[in-house]
Amino acid sequence: MSAQPSESAAAKAEEPRVSERGEKLHLFLRNSQGMFGLVLVLLFFASAIFAPLLAPYDPNQLDIPARMSGPTLDHWAGTDQLGRDTFSRVLYGGRVALKIAAIGVSVSLFLGLLLGMLAGYGPRWLDNFLLLFFDTIRAFPTIVMALAVVALTGPSLELVLIIVIVTSIPGYARLARTSTLALKNTEFIVAERSLGASMGRILWRHVMPNVVGPLLILAAMDVPVVVTVEAGLSFLGLGVLPPTSSWGTVLNEGYLIIRDTPWPVIAGGIPLVLTTLGFTFLGEALRDVFDPRLRKGR
Amino acid sequence: MANLLEIRDLSVDFKTPRGRVHALRDITIDVPEKKILGIVGESGSGKSTVIWAVTRLLAGNAVVEGGQILFNGEDVLGYGEDDLRRYRGEQVSVVFQDPMTSQIPVLSYSRQMADIQYRRSERSAAEKRRVAVDIMRRVGIPDPEERVRQFPHQFSGGMRQRASIAMALMMDPPLLIADEPTTALDVTMEAQIIHLLRELKDEFEATVVVVSHNLGLIAELCDEVVVMYAGEVVEQGDVRQIFYRPKHPYTQALLECDPARVLEQTRFLPTIPGDVPDLHAPPKGCVFAARCPKAFEACRKERPQDHEAEPGQIVRCHLLAPLFAEQGGAESVSEAAPSPAGANGEAATEHDGELLEVEDLQVRFRTMGALKALVNRVADPHVDAVLGASLALRPGETLGLVGESGSGKTTLGRTILGLLPAHSGSVRFDGRELTTLSESDFKPLRRDMAMMFQDPIGSLSPRQSIRSLLTEPFEIHGLKDLNVQQEADRLCDMVSLPNNFLSRYPHELSGGQARRVGVARALALQPRLIIADEPTAGLDVSVQGEILNLMADLQRAHGLGYLIITHNLPVVRHISDRLAIMYLGRLIEQGDCDSIFERPAHPYTEALVRGVPLPDPDKRRALVSIEGEVPSLANRPPGCEFHTRCKYAQERCRKEAPGESELAPGHRVRCHFPLNQ
Repeated sequence: MSAQPSESAAAKAEEPRVSERGEKLHLFLRNSQGMFGLVLVLLFFASAIFAPLLAPYDPNQLDIPARMSGPTLDHWAGTDQLGRDTFSRVLYGGRVALKIAAIGVSVSLFLGLLLGMLAGYGPRWLDNFLLLFFDTIRAFPTIVMALAVVALTGPSLELVLIIVIVTSIPGYARLARTSTLALKNTEFIVAERSLGASMGRILWRHVMPNVVGPLLILAAMDVPVVVTVEAGLSFLGLGVLPPTSSWGTVLNEGYLIIRDTPWPVIAGGIPLVLTTLGFTFLGEALRDVFDPRLRKGR
Repeated sequence: MANLLEIRDLSVDFKTPRGRVHALRDITIDVPEKKILGIVGESGSGKSTVIWAVTRLLAGNAVVEGGQILFNGEDVLGYGEDDLRRYRGEQVSVVFQDPMTSQIPVLSYSRQMADIQYRRSERSAAEKRRVAVDIMRRVGIPDPEERVRQFPHQFSGGMRQRASIAMALMMDPPLLIADEPTTALDVTMEAQIIHLLRELKDEFEATVVVVSHNLGLIAELCDEVVVMYAGEVVEQGDVRQIFYRPKHPYTQALLECDPARVLEQTRFLPTIPGDVPDLHAPPKGCVFAARCPKAFEACRKERPQDHEAEPGQIVRCHLLAPLFAEQGGAESVSEAAPSPAGANGEAATEHDGELLEVEDLQVRFRTMGALKALVNRVADPHVDAVLGASLALRPGETLGLVGESGSGKTTLGRTILGLLPAHSGSVRFDGRELTTLSESDFKPLRRDMAMMFQDPIGSLSPRQSIRSLLTEPFEIHGLKDLNVQQEADRLCDMVSLPNNFLSRYPHELSGGQARRVGVARALALQPRLIIADEPTAGLDVSVQGEILNLMADLQRAHGLGYLIITHNLPVVRHISDRLAIMYLGRLIEQGDCDSIFERPAHPYTEALVRGVPLPDPDKRRALVSIEGEVPSLANRPPGCEFHTRCKYAQERCRKEAPGESELAPGHRVRCHFPLNQ
């Protein structure tokens, strides 16, 4: 009881809430890896959003005389076999990646949270049914599923998005379900039931805020996965269609001419690596800050 | 008489993001050899920090600011890692509060006990095992050869605590520390552990330090007592000095607050108003001055010195300084003044009908799925948590439902509110049958029935502000025409919480404050029935009184019916009109509070009533009042369920289940041979 006199005394201090948030922020600011991740992530956002302003050329503008050049003053990252500016194409490719990542991750987070809470809180048969559904989806490797669907419908950006969402839902849902199950019989949930609160109210107001934290961390770590999946599908020609530039298509086209110039592959690979690194570092830092059990020492 | 352990001017700080907490300030404690020393204090008093300092197990953010801990004359604070390994376990060992978390769940007892003997490399594995079996026999674990092979989860709570005492005594340490050794246990188990500790102390000639907030336990067990408050030792002395002639106002107040000590039934319990001071900046004067009824000018300005009131009794209080002796010498501490809330009986008009009627209620839980039961040929894959329970409650009345853990009292309470399904029987509220109602039909009735839950903080949704927690009942029941903000303020006033608490969150409240929020929430919709599950659990003695007084005030003002579920007999005695005692899912005795306390008819009731440790060192019980443990629900004894532990049990009790008989109007009992009649 009095093992942590600091706690009971602190509860009586005048401004504890501000300081607690301050403490988390402080911990995060001190985490150099997390700050590095944050900088990379911000860079990714900025470059994707402001691509039209930053890009020196239209990504599809041809400059045949300068085709397959290395880095020059005109073309900072060289050009591809059609003489398109790789730097501009990579910047615009970031927009595709951002779009897929933002929509894909947020929609699958939302749906996963919803289905997971329903599975955890709802009746047993619903739980069993949803679990079966999640496990079935998880059993398919993403790429194989994409190949199967593309074979039926043909490649498109929307398709990539749908595949990304469907395959990421189970991860979020399982996490949400486990936390919900643990909360289901806690006193405060039973207390809400005793007041007559509806299931919707209990899930939204009382379960969700306690469940969503780990899911947000998972989402940060999931962004690089989604970006890679998009790049991978586009590389295989199953995603974004050729005139549009994405990191995957830049890599794919670069791969075809790698004997002539390595620059498109290098320029297409670097942002992929940095974005992945940035989100992973950020996610890990967030997890360290919000999950004190993983913090080193005390 | 030599001192085994001497703590000299020990100060410990905790570094927190909000600055340093001065958790211990100039603590001096002597632990005489071969005695039992008790450290009493409420939460935040620093009593556990003392233990961690002595065992050198303080948390990483703790800083020892100064002082010495002398063990046999050696300063423990100067020990290096090797010295510590030699010291811990061999010289000093600890029995923790919760045996479930202090034992390793994946290792058998024989393995854990062999590991403790790692320094005895000359012993063979067989020999280590023999030692383990031997020590388990000595702490009273039956079949030690068999049970030493088992794992912690296969032991019951009481047995597990015995095993942790066995492990602590394994290396025959001169100093044994017990940190709240019975807090996680039931009353009947508590009595057994207290006796075990006393016996073992003599047998092993050990010195024991017991840390507890339970005054009864301390009086029953200890020779010397140290009273701590807000990180300081305020009084220490012989157990009789402390309990009969306490000198410090805090000790006096603490003793008065203990419900077990208030002998006559009273509706208003004494309390200590105010809060423990913030230890980030401890007060300049006396730590207790802000709550002390006798405080005068000097108390707020000057730190009091230690004074020797009687030989061996040291008190840190200005009142004992010759200079101030004549000051503030008035009467004793906080008067148990009935607060003037509500005109008596006016609101609590007597209705004729019963508010709540429970008849022959049965609640069962499934133990395995239908398929598994079929495969394993289990005909009836259920356990009965509540069996044939009948009780009634009138408006304005308080019924105390008492039982040990596993007796089904919480299940009964939750089933009444429709939070668990009833198997058979009926629950009528205001004459209306509840068990057959669907949730949507039940909802309007929930305005009239509310529940208070056991854990004051854990029963509040952690991410909601107090304001939204208080206004939520109105939202749920669609009372939009009300000004909910005003209502929140009104509720806050009603339970005397300052209004600025509305923007706080549950984890920022102390137990007592959170409990007030729970009371306010339960009363928000002005219900007529409140089911309170352990309303005083997790609260300090000085706060318990406040909550119970508040509940009593509100009862008189609103004519509420209370069903109070608890294992704490002394508390329930002061607030209940009638009592119902539960054992293994059955109500075994019901009657007026007084008649049950004076003439308990069921042997189990007798054991409970007599089993409460009294805060009176001269009334130590000679015998353990009840043997054995509560049987498992899955393995219900035939005949009378209590016969396995009943000292009066006869042939008939083993075969035939007793029916309910009425001894006097309203006093019913389930026993073949009722006592005291």
